[in-house]
Amino acid sequence: MNKFIFGIAILMLTGCTEQALKNQNSHGLIYCAEANPVSFNPQITTLGSTIDLTSNQLYNRLISIDANTGEFLPELAKSWEISKDRKKITFDLREDVQFHQTDYFTPTRNFNADDVVFTFSRLFDAYNPYHFVGGGQYPYFQSIGLDQLIKSIIKESDYRVSFELFDAQSSFLSNIATDFAIILSAEYAKNLEISETLENLDNYPVGTGPYKFKDYKRDILIRYYKHEQYWKHPVELEQLVYDITPNSTTRIAKMLTHECDVTPHPNSSQLSILASRTDITVQKETNLNIGFWAFNTQKAPFDDSRVRRALAHAIDIEKIMHAVYLDNGKRLESILPNTSWAYQAQVNMPNYNPELARRLLQQAGLIEGFKMDLWAMPVARIYNPNARKMAELIQSDLKKIGITVNIVEYEWNTFIKKLEEHAHDTVLLGWSADTPDPDNFFSPLLSCAAALNGKNAANWCDPEFDLLLSKALDTIEIEQRKEFYFQAQQMVIQELPLLPIAQGMRFQASSTNVENIEIKSFGGVSLAKARKR
Amino acid sequence: MAKFNINTDISSEELNKSPLRQLWRHFKENHVALVGLWFFIGLTILATLAPVIAPYGVNQQHTDALLLPPSWDDAGDVRFILGTDDLGRDVLSRLINGTTYTFGLAILTALITTLLGVVLGVFAGMSKGVRSSILNHLLDVTLSIPSLLLAIIIIAILGPGLLNTVWAIILALLPQYIHSVRNLVVQELSKDYIIAQWLDGANSWHILSRGIFPNIYEHIVVIFTMSLSTAILDISALGFLKLGAQPPTAEWGAILSENLAFIYLAPWTVALPGILLFFSVLATNLVGDGLRSALKKRKAI
Amino acid sequence: MALEYIFRRIILLCFMLLLLSIFTFSLSFLFPGDPLNNLSGVQNISFHESDALSEKYKLGHSILTQYFSFIERISHGDWGISFASQEPIFDHIVALFPATLELALYALLASIIFGIPAGITSAAYYKKWPDKIINTLTLLGYSTPVFWLALLMIMFFCLQLGLLPMSGRVSLLYEIPDVTGFILIDILLSDVSYKFNAFIDAIKHLLLPTIVLSTYPTMVLIRFTRDSMLEVLEKNYIKTARAKGLSRSQLIFRHALRNALLPVIKQIGLQFSTLITLAMITEVIFSWPGIGRWLIDSIYQRDFPAIQGGLLAVSTFIILATVTADLMHSLFDPISRNQTHGKI
Repeated sequence: MNKFIFGIAILMLTGCTEQALKNQNSHGLIYCAEANPVSFNPQITTLGSTIDLTSNQLYNRLISIDANTGEFLPELAKSWEISKDRKKITFDLREDVQFHQTDYFTPTRNFNADDVVFTFSRLFDAYNPYHFVGGGQYPYFQSIGLDQLIKSIIKESDYRVSFELFDAQSSFLSNIATDFAIILSAEYAKNLEISETLENLDNYPVGTGPYKFKDYKRDILIRYYKHEQYWKHPVELEQLVYDITPNSTTRIAKMLTHECDVTPHPNSSQLSILASRTDITVQKETNLNIGFWAFNTQKAPFDDSRVRRALAHAIDIEKIMHAVYLDNGKRLESILPNTSWAYQAQVNMPNYNPELARRLLQQAGLIEGFKMDLWAMPVARIYNPNARKMAELIQSDLKKIGITVNIVEYEWNTFIKKLEEHAHDTVLLGWSADTPDPDNFFSPLLSCAAALNGKNAANWCDPEFDLLLSKALDTIEIEQRKEFYFQAQQMVIQELPLLPIAQGMRFQASSTNVENIEIKSFGGVSLAKARKR
Repeated sequence: MAKFNINTDISSEELNKSPLRQLWRHFKENHVALVGLWFFIGLTILATLAPVIAPYGVNQQHTDALLLPPSWDDAGDVRFILGTDDLGRDVLSRLINGTTYTFGLAILTALITTLLGVVLGVFAGMSKGVRSSILNHLLDVTLSIPSLLLAIIIIAILGPGLLNTVWAIILALLPQYIHSVRNLVVQELSKDYIIAQWLDGANSWHILSRGIFPNIYEHIVVIFTMSLSTAILDISALGFLKLGAQPPTAEWGAILSENLAFIYLAPWTVALPGILLFFSVLATNLVGDGLRSALKKRKAI
Repeated sequence: MALEYIFRRIILLCFMLLLLSIFTFSLSFLFPGDPLNNLSGVQNISFHESDALSEKYKLGHSILTQYFSFIERISHGDWGISFASQEPIFDHIVALFPATLELALYALLASIIFGIPAGITSAAYYKKWPDKIINTLTLLGYSTPVFWLALLMIMFFCLQLGLLPMSGRVSLLYEIPDVTGFILIDILLSDVSYKFNAFIDAIKHLLLPTIVLSTYPTMVLIRFTRDSMLEVLEKNYIKTARAKGLSRSQLIFRHALRNALLPVIKQIGLQFSTLITLAMITEVIFSWPGIGRWLIDSIYQRDFPAIQGGLLAVSTFIILATVTADLMHSLFDPISRNQTHGKI
């Protein structure tokens, strides 16, 4: 009799725990992240690996862009008006948006114009107490010259705010719609000022997004809870956990053992394994991105355009397309990908010609060859699934014309930090677009402002080029802008501060029972509507 | 019944062979150890003659033949007996060249460690008093630093690379070595025949070369084989962690770690280096074990 | 007598810690880069900061002063700041060490539980088939590189069979508050609804890393126990007992074991260093969030202050563990207490 009761008890216990297990698992999602976030505030970085983890999960922006039509959609702003001279844009804000309530902050009011004023004035107002907090670097906004563009931000009323610009810039709305232009809580900022812990604004984030911050253990995990009062739609997941796994093979293994439910950028060589599993889905999206080889134009011998051209002619890109992109990428014929409306195929893109490369080197006086560093990213990106492999192919190609290449690698965030100090000779890098606006490929990468703040990996500053870019931004006539961008593209291929190599596809692998993960052709991933069946 | 040896026409020298020949005789009887020895010799030959034996260059890329399976598989090609890796490099050639790096360098490392270890160990064993104490405490401190950690620190100071790995491993193996040699020397020193030599008026050098050394060199050979297997494991471990050999150097551990990304697509690129590593260490251990038991058997007689 | 031995051991301990601290201190100067960067953990020292920092680390003064200031900082818990995370290294170490300790402890226990009986069996059936089998297995285990073994286990148990997880200490969806740092204890202490599941999950996560980590020490212990037992079995008092008619098991358990195990206990103490080395590699492969993985990441990121701090922590632990094992050994073996100082 006792044994019987005991047996039933055990059965019930296991039954209960199985249910508890199911509950725990079906309401939480584990996402394999490729690197630690450099911050929880997307304003201060342009790294895709950080944006993917934070921007669409913790925050909202004023407006967003429709991935298919390119139209602007309302988010925190219900509607907006642009003045006749295009120098004043006024936003009408939603009144029902609540901020996160966390262990360290309880909001006492809804989102309003004060938050918008605070968020943007932090970026360019040197007198804002938060401007220099966390280093004072806002790479995206500085590269596009936001501090020179915004004259003032005026709170017209509690739910109405205006931006006054010095110049009418056609890309202004696009830039307000990027993943970087998220809205912070002014009330939280005030609280932190009182307790004198201003760095917490970026480290212990508060936003309006579908998830709120719970915990972060470096190199281990990030934990978000759902934001119960999310204004847009109910959030399905109770928990969102990021498992920080820099090694791409390990991420795939975790997918196969179901220790991770989603992983971004699976290594192109492993796609077939994932695709062959019935319990895993692989999503594929075209994406606005470019992978390139940038030369540090302030360092000899890369300051000589003949040397840059020689290096460009010395490598066999077809081989790279085959071995690195595994035929899943598209070779670039310009610095813009061919899906951009300002694209123009460049006729004098360097082709594979080692003889010409040798002659150019001879002209530059370097026929005996030289030693150089090639920095390769340790993580897979959309624009370059395997920088290390690409580097090895380039290394063997350059050896044939007498150049010895030393491949340099660091952990991803350290890598980017060192690049910003221009410590490199050359680097394999790239850029994923944040908006469909073509300026997104020029200003953040090759402008003088970008060279100053370290985001310009070619360390290239040409005032004529900058002039072209600003002229293109001064007008909203598409045909006129195209003209300027054509000239800009020609200039890039002429001078070759960087050699555009290929455009990659965006892949994402997820367990079949996971739904509604949004990946677009530009910008970061959004898990706002994600759920598990 | 007692066994009689009718050996009037066989000189005693035939029967009482030198210790080394006796050792070899005992070793030979152990078949497993012999197999190990053959494999060991084979690897040494491979290590020295690698560039000559390998069918292709170690970094020769065949872009038309990426990730080919071994030739006995349907998709394989007889040109590449063990297949190719993802850059089109012949796996067999890389593995053969890897013998030079992993096995060959390990032998070099073990030899240098032996040399230094014996010198320092003898010095530590012969010295007395405070000098001896301090030396021994220093040794103990280095013994308390895990060998991998020590290797990491040396690589942090010197930078990654195969040569620096060798230094790191030498420095990591030395303390253990000196410890063992010192114990051997001290053990011998307390024996009667040494004391007799001492009383006879021999100086330290005499005692060392005539008395101690001939009696401990066999043990040193055994320790050599054990440190050789450790050296192989350490060099490949550091190569695997990308702290040692840097690509495109074809060291076995580095090859393994490079090809991990293809473990699903091309498992042979990961399996083969591992198997080779396993067998080299096994062979070394077999030889070492064989020597050890042969020594014991000889001493027992 | 015993007191004097303990006293000498403690002197030895202090001396070893002193040497360790000198070595660690010198690393700030040996590592590439400016010593001020390496000491403070700040990578971009602005102009006016550099004076203040120089004063704090006493760079203008003699080496001896700098060394004493180093010792003072260490004892107050200021172990510098990590280049990579910009957080105090001491906090990192406190957070990560228990994970490594837990793994190493379980591996050590496993190696003792499996290794010693196997070694005894092997010696008891010397040259018979149990001995031969155990010997062969030991040889194979000795010869397997630890990372190779880990990969094989993962391939088989995790990917092929899908039975066990391959990374971390517990499924990330379980939120276990950090009390002691030992995951099994923390789960038992915690107040969550899924306590039982989390416990089973943690055991599953512990299984493979422990097996991999304990392989080498087990092989060593088997060999050592076997050799030590064989040596004892050769001794005269055993032969006498045998002649008197005692059975094999009586011989082993009543007479030989206690004496054979003495050098084994000492050997266990010497295993710590190897255990930590192997743990570092195991942690990397199984993504175990311990101090080993952190150290290896630090070298990839050229995070010199972190390497220094890690070295100090790990080596101090090993020295303390070795000396403790030594003291325990001398507790059981009075003869060793008489050994002249200088020998371990």
